[in-house]
Amino acid sequence: MIEINNLTKVFGSFKAVDGLNLRVEPGEIFGFLGPNGAGKTTTVKILSGIMRPTSGSVRVAGFDLAADPLAAKRAMAYIPDEPFVYPKLTGWEFMRFIGDLYSLPVSDQKKRIPELLAAFELEAHSGELLESYSHGMKQKLLIASVLLRRPKAVLFDEPTVGLDPKSIRRFKSLLLEIASAGAAVFMCTHILDMAEKLCHSVGIIYRGRLVARGTVAEVKKLASGAYGPRSLEDVFLELTE
Amino acid sequence: MLNILFRRKVNTLTNTLKALRGWKLVKNLMFGAVGLLMLSALYAAFWRLLAYLETVQLIGPMLSWKLTSMVLLMTFSMVIVSSIIISMSTLYYSFDLKFLISCPLDLRSVFMDKALETVFYSSWTLVLAILPYIIALGRVKALGAGFYLSYLFLMVPFVMLAGAVGIFFSMLVMYAFPSSKTRDITWLLGSLSVAFVYVMFRFSKPEKLLRPDSLQVVAQYIQYLQSPTAPYMPSWWVTKAMVAYSAGHWGDFAVSAGVLTAAALLLYALIYFMSGRLYMRGFSGAQSSPRFRGNRRTLPEQRLAAAFPALRAYFTLYWKDRLMLLRDARYWSQIILIAALIAVYLFSIRQLPLDTADLKSLISFLNVGVAGFVMAAIGLRFTFPAVSLEGNSYWLLKSAPVTTASVLREKLTVSLLPSLLVGFILITISNRLLNADLFISVLSTFTILVAAVVITVMGIGFGAIFPDFNVENIHQLESSYGGFLYMAASMGYLALLVGAEAWPVQMHFAERLGRAHAWDMRALVFCAAVFLALNITALYLPWKLGLRSLEKHEI
Repeated sequence: MIEINNLTKVFGSFKAVDGLNLRVEPGEIFGFLGPNGAGKTTTVKILSGIMRPTSGSVRVAGFDLAADPLAAKRAMAYIPDEPFVYPKLTGWEFMRFIGDLYSLPVSDQKKRIPELLAAFELEAHSGELLESYSHGMKQKLLIASVLLRRPKAVLFDEPTVGLDPKSIRRFKSLLLEIASAGAAVFMCTHILDMAEKLCHSVGIIYRGRLVARGTVAEVKKLASGAYGPRSLEDVFLELTE
Repeated sequence: MLNILFRRKVNTLTNTLKALRGWKLVKNLMFGAVGLLMLSALYAAFWRLLAYLETVQLIGPMLSWKLTSMVLLMTFSMVIVSSIIISMSTLYYSFDLKFLISCPLDLRSVFMDKALETVFYSSWTLVLAILPYIIALGRVKALGAGFYLSYLFLMVPFVMLAGAVGIFFSMLVMYAFPSSKTRDITWLLGSLSVAFVYVMFRFSKPEKLLRPDSLQVVAQYIQYLQSPTAPYMPSWWVTKAMVAYSAGHWGDFAVSAGVLTAAALLLYALIYFMSGRLYMRGFSGAQSSPRFRGNRRTLPEQRLAAAFPALRAYFTLYWKDRLMLLRDARYWSQIILIAALIAVYLFSIRQLPLDTADLKSLISFLNVGVAGFVMAAIGLRFTFPAVSLEGNSYWLLKSAPVTTASVLREKLTVSLLPSLLVGFILITISNRLLNADLFISVLSTFTILVAAVVITVMGIGFGAIFPDFNVENIHQLESSYGGFLYMAASMGYLALLVGAEAWPVQMHFAERLGRAHAWDMRALVFCAAVFLALNITALYLPWKLGLRSLEKHEI
């Protein structure tokens, strides 16, 4: 579970996130939508522990991120919008690095890493240095490393950027698998169609404030006017103009 | 088209200058003031040297011009090697190159833009470093402002020429072997060349210029002074032009300056023409990654982690750093330069003209400070950048279940052992070369080992206070504000360390010279307390500040 209470982040005189309150339940896929610069990446960075909030608190899997950061981080996995990885490690070494860093049993790693690499069609490249991987390959490797960890909370920031259509389809099914295994999924995305089809609930952030929150159907109703039911895209554009 | 590219550089510079406000401005002004102070110190040293040379009867003026030609030759060689190393990044791997090449810009213009950038980066420090020498030369020889203007006029084609030689070489190498492996090999060869030039210059004993008696026959000495230093090199053309200017031989000045300028123009015309034919193949090849096949064997650290599960995160970070260092050619090129630095250091110790055993022992003690300086210089290249070299991948550690303190501790242990080893080797060999007595040997060895720990902790601490995860290469970190402060703090620490031990050493020499009751216990206890307080402070403060800064650092 991910629990966000009164989260605020200020950069100088600019309020990037303004009093955000959210709760993502275990097994729920939450789509976090918003235009560029609305505060999505700042929020997800705070949730992952790489940025500190100005005020407010975050709890992940029952652990307070400020009071017990290691326990909270052990329970979650984060993938940023840019898949920066160590260029001089091979794909196999990177997976082992993540596995060891998150204290996964070695026998489990040796069994699951080849399976995951094969699932993402990275097996043949697992001995190559990551500096030779394409953007999409790095992204797939990071997603594979998330699955290796079996986290209780997953944070994705634009996870499908750089992925080929086949990998996007694979990613979507994996997302459902992760959620059905009981993990809370928090996903920032610009692909409204994907959010509409995959997410159990969505939130729209605009200028740091949460302007809509609910199931896709509930959010759609927020902007339904005289013209009848509208798409998530219509609602998004109306709320963020 | 070149003017569009040039305008973007002017805009970048203007924006950077405009952004200099508040603490940033103060920081840069302080940095500049200290730099100016160091240049003034260099000027004072050169002025003394050149003024002394001028007083040597008959051969004085010849001596200073000979030295000038050697300095210029050295500068020319260093700019060539620097431009080879730097051009591998600027011409083939700059962040903006893919964008520039995809733009409707003439390829030759992009090349020339990057070539000029290369010349600037490979020459500005050297040009600045020899400026105090030239000012001192002009003053000693009583030459007016015109001399400095003519020097500036000569310097432009001089460094442009040296830079172009390096760029042309890189272009040919990348054309012949268009692969990113070529960059790594060139970096290694470039570092080897710098090390070679540096070691050879020192091993040629330039101090013999000051001791004419070292050359047995006077005529031979004068002939040596009158002979051109590398007559076909641009450095000699500059020397000839400067000599001609000082003697008022305007015709000779015009010929030398003309040859220099014509050679520079010719070479640029050549690389401009050739870049159209050769550059694209090299650039395209550089985008490919070298083939590398790793295996899946269990690493020694992973075995240790299995034996000591509590240290698993530590061993994991350790093997990650070890593999990264071993596979990065940048580190190997740095190691070559450090080996040269150590060789020159030990050679200089051997060459010291010390007559008495007491003097040798005293120098052995003071040598702690110099060996410490060498270690700090090594720390600047290896320990200080350790945190920043996590680069854009630092988010992985920041979001992982590891504390910042454990990351810093791991980085410390990676650097600590080599640092202790280098310190021990430096002090043991130099003590042996100087025949230091037992007391001084034990004291200096103990002190250097303590200093190795402190300097390494300071390196990690300062690296964490001033992290830069977006840096493109180690050289940028070395010349950064944080790097400068780290060196200044290390120097201050070493001065205080030697100062804290000066009193006991004085008592030791008093005993050696036969004074009764040379040892004062109260003074010893006082010095031990100062020693302890100094080291605890130097360990605690940078570490604590670094840890706090890195914990707060947001990416």
